[in-house]
Amino acid sequence: MESLKEGLRKWRSVLIVISVMILVSPFFAWASEVVGYAEPLENAAEHLGAMEHEYAIISGIIPDYTIPGANPYASTIVAGIVGCLIVLGLCMVIGKALGGK
Amino acid sequence: MHIPDGFMDLWICAVMYIISAVVIVYSARKLKGKLEGPQVPLIGMVAAGIFAAQMLNWPIPGGTSAHFVGGAIAGILLGPYAGCLSMVSVLTIQCLVFGDGGITALGANIFSMAIVDVFVGYWIFTALRQRNLDVSLFLAGWIGIWLGATATGVVLGVSSVFAYGFVTTVSVMGIWHGALGIIEGIISMLAIKFVLDRQPDLIPVPKEVVA
Repeated sequence: MESLKEGLRKWRSVLIVISVMILVSPFFAWASEVVGYAEPLENAAEHLGAMEHEYAIISGIIPDYTIPGANPYASTIVAGIVGCLIVLGLCMVIGKALGGK
Repeated sequence: MHIPDGFMDLWICAVMYIISAVVIVYSARKLKGKLEGPQVPLIGMVAAGIFAAQMLNWPIPGGTSAHFVGGAIAGILLGPYAGCLSMVSVLTIQCLVFGDGGITALGANIFSMAIVDVFVGYWIFTALRQRNLDVSLFLAGWIGIWLGATATGVVLGVSSVFAYGFVTTVSVMGIWHGALGIIEGIISMLAIKFVLDRQPDLIPVPKEVVA
């Protein structure tokens, strides 16, 4: 088991890339609002009248990557950090469960 | 490309859950006892990187765009089985913590992004990497997401909410993600080469291909 310090050093370049992506996420959130971001899936749903059937059984604790009541752009960064840490942790648990040391 | 709740008929939700569960269990069995030390943090790092990249919606003017999905990257860097499980982790957290993709549609979302994209990307890469590494990485990213999106078009097209508009859903998903997938292919190529430059010992790529 590598120590945290070793891990941070070994994965430095990947961690920098992930950090940069999280830091620029508010800009992308803003820019996608400006251009009216929509995915082909939504366009197909719109075209065939399916949009009104969309709902969410589970909204999550940070719905749509935005903390309710908080600044949407700042909370995008928080969502990125929280999401990356949970995903990283979950994969480590799965990896260990499958026999990785 | 994350299908929300309400878009698919329940029977197709169930079918996609079963298919995805079979592949997840198969992948876990293939990996059982075979993961070596450095592979575990690599799986986590790749998954975290893909999660962050998926948050960045491409601001393309005109009202039709997409975001990076990354299944092919996961399949190539981790192998198809660990790649599949890493993408399943990303999609499950997106669904449960961020409400991105419906819980009833999770089976279908896993099928398109954690199975089709991952395995197709991996197969294209392994088939073509000896000829040209860059081209194999680009095509893996492009065709992986293209077929994944087409699969999403198929499951929506057989659903009553989409008025069984199979031709429309498959062509909208296929044509648009076929075009937008070129960006996915380019990012996949650049990202994998970035990792290969720094961690060549961790990647299951023959040394002569890396050099």
